[in-house]
Amino acid sequence: MEIERIRTDILILGSGGAGLFAALHAHDRNPDLAVTVATKGLLGKCGCTRMVQGGYNVSLHAGDSVERHFMDTIEGGKWLPDQELAWTLVSTAPERVRELENEVGCFFDRNPDGSLHGKAFAGQTFDRTVHKGDLTGIEIINRLMEQVWKRRGIGKLEEHRALALIPTPAGDALAGVLMADIRTGHLRFVQARAVLMATGGGPTMYRYHTPSGDKSMDGLAMALRAGLPLRDMEMVQFHPTGLLAGPDTRMTGTVLEEGLRGAGGHLLDGAGRRFMADYDPKLERATRDVVSRAIYAEMKAGRTTPNGGVYIRMSHLGPADVAKRFKGMVDRCRDCGFDLAGGLVEVVPTAHYFMGGVACRPDTATELPGLFVAGEDASGMHGANRLGGNGVANSTVFGGIAGDRMPDVIAASGGFREPDESRIAAEAARCLHPFTRKPGDVNALRERLMDLMWDEVGVVRDAAGLRRGLAGLDAIEAELLETGIADGARAFNLTWHDWLNLRSLVETSRVIALAAERRENSRGAHYRADFPEPGDLATSTFTVVRRVGESLTITDEPVRFTRVRPGETLLEPPMAAE
Amino acid sequence: MSEAAAGDLSVSIWRGGADGAFARYQVPARASQTVLDVVTHVQRHIDPTLSYRFACRVGMCGSCAMTVNGRPRWTCRTHVSKVAEGGRLEIAPLANLPVIKDLAADMSPFFEKWQAAGGAFAPTLSRADPVEPIRPSEPDRVVADAGIECINCGVCYAGCDTVRWNAAYVGPAALNRAWTLMNDRRDGAQRERLAAVAADGGCHACHSHQSCQDFCPQSLSPTGAISGLKRMAMKAYLRGELKP
Repeated sequence: MEIERIRTDILILGSGGAGLFAALHAHDRNPDLAVTVATKGLLGKCGCTRMVQGGYNVSLHAGDSVERHFMDTIEGGKWLPDQELAWTLVSTAPERVRELENEVGCFFDRNPDGSLHGKAFAGQTFDRTVHKGDLTGIEIINRLMEQVWKRRGIGKLEEHRALALIPTPAGDALAGVLMADIRTGHLRFVQARAVLMATGGGPTMYRYHTPSGDKSMDGLAMALRAGLPLRDMEMVQFHPTGLLAGPDTRMTGTVLEEGLRGAGGHLLDGAGRRFMADYDPKLERATRDVVSRAIYAEMKAGRTTPNGGVYIRMSHLGPADVAKRFKGMVDRCRDCGFDLAGGLVEVVPTAHYFMGGVACRPDTATELPGLFVAGEDASGMHGANRLGGNGVANSTVFGGIAGDRMPDVIAASGGFREPDESRIAAEAARCLHPFTRKPGDVNALRERLMDLMWDEVGVVRDAAGLRRGLAGLDAIEAELLETGIADGARAFNLTWHDWLNLRSLVETSRVIALAAERRENSRGAHYRADFPEPGDLATSTFTVVRRVGESLTITDEPVRFTRVRPGETLLEPPMAAE
Repeated sequence: MSEAAAGDLSVSIWRGGADGAFARYQVPARASQTVLDVVTHVQRHIDPTLSYRFACRVGMCGSCAMTVNGRPRWTCRTHVSKVAEGGRLEIAPLANLPVIKDLAADMSPFFEKWQAAGGAFAPTLSRADPVEPIRPSEPDRVVADAGIECINCGVCYAGCDTVRWNAAYVGPAALNRAWTLMNDRRDGAQRERLAAVAADGGCHACHSHQSCQDFCPQSLSPTGAISGLKRMAMKAYLRGELKP
């Protein structure tokens, strides 16, 4: 097959908060450079930053401090975060929010006196979450995409899928990225002097998941094949209340916001009994992981609703008040046929965010020269758990840093690098593989993967289940490789991309299961029924998986407490963080 | 494909480019089913080559808008029971935009026009400055906030008669965004933007048919925004700040 060749100085994969910020910063730092944003959907309209409801954690308010935000992030991450990455996140966030307001044009909610409003958000000791109603992501992405569109020099490759990171023949640096133009079905090698990978994680391999439908862990699958180290891969955050609308609807899994429980919503089993008292004295207001495990236990015990979940009830708070206070949620449920304000709505824990990703430095550089990483593809900022409001902070902070850094690296390191042609050929053959096999049912395999991951590598894990999970993944992958797609219509062929999505998901699922098997304790989002204790914090380790040849190696690396050790705090006078 | 049953939906879907045609499919009806689910069923179980676009599934990204039984809608948030007439659905790409293939429209003219109408904030401060204190009760901020939750889905643009008749018209969404910026006192390109929206193809091209506000899934009022721009442009003419 003919592979078209194009060049750009800087290639950015993804158009969420990280990708768009990187494009703006790189272009503004050196407008003479060719900067190109490639995105799987339309610019700014796919990915998850746009779906942010909660807001943006930032220490901008009187009485708050970077140190306090840092301690909340470290405590929330159960002492697993890389402290330099976490520090970069919290200490850069104030400038990034001022940039969003003053240069990008976002307008966040204000207090009556005109100052920025900060709302309370779970797991934080200060009300620091800046927001725009409960549609914060729309405000951030809409304004960012306008700024990118306005800069005519920024190139766009919309509906382009990244297929593989292509190194030099010596393997000592990145030469570019092999891509598929989704609209035409043609392959294209984009040679670039620097590449930012910001495709977003998105644990969509679970039966119930919140991320947008385009997310399929492509970035991490590419990084794995490129031999890069992936850390914290066992850490999948589940949100307790995903909408459960039955099978065969894309509505199922989409998130019903945290605030419903915070406001006093009740969770009921299939028989209408309020069950959270059996699990935690804080009842429905317990943390995400606790409530998710409680619902999961109810489901395992069979005390479920018709579609196999539990109910959320808001009506005792007064349907009119609920409809006013949670207008967005109530409207969405109504559009989908459910009465959230006055009736019962079925919910289920749903895979929400992926803390694992490519290991990187605070300047977003990876082990592979020429490759940078930001957003959900990167890892180490959140450790075992991400605080609500730290996700969009993470993507925008590090996207901007990458955009600042790449022009400097290019200036220092020179020109384009030649690609390993054999890798281009091998990766092209890999993505065209389904056209060489007899057409089969890709969706049935996707359904099997989602059930397998939910049952064996999900909210509650144990050794036997993880072994079953790993065996099941091998079986699904083997079948996928024999499941083909009718050739002849490669242009905008979503079924081909479903196949490619599935392959990325199977590859990353295996790494999740391996890392989950390795961690024989329970921290944050990772819970082992056979090892329920968190383990000694002072000797905490994090998992690192990388592919060497055809096999995966896994190691435990000690967490370096570069700023604060377990039991200590940066806050003066010392205050116990909760 | 299974036999048509009483519970089936009869679905006509646009296939091909501008010179395409409708093809008919039988899709099982379900209690919880959106129009996007119907389209997905056809791609997953009947014809794997069907092309369409979606992302967020919850009405935040504006990727999945299509023409459903003649009217532009978000398909992810449109329950089949609300729109199927006698179990019949006709699904086509958004009108007033080029078709890429099947149900996927080319949105780039929509975003080009967004920019043509000055649809980007022009900063007067920098990241080194504190965030500007602005009371939410300030009258211009109240006006801006009323129109700010547009997700650029293109539903109003596809439903606009003026866009259909006048290819130069920038359309309701772009003008709505321009109006929110004209009411943002932090913005530094007021005069240029007003000139842009008062030019040919701008706010004066609108005939106030109000389809935009009827169709807007966010219940915004682009019509109101456009009249605001017309008034603002008129005042600027009278003051001699804008050339007729």
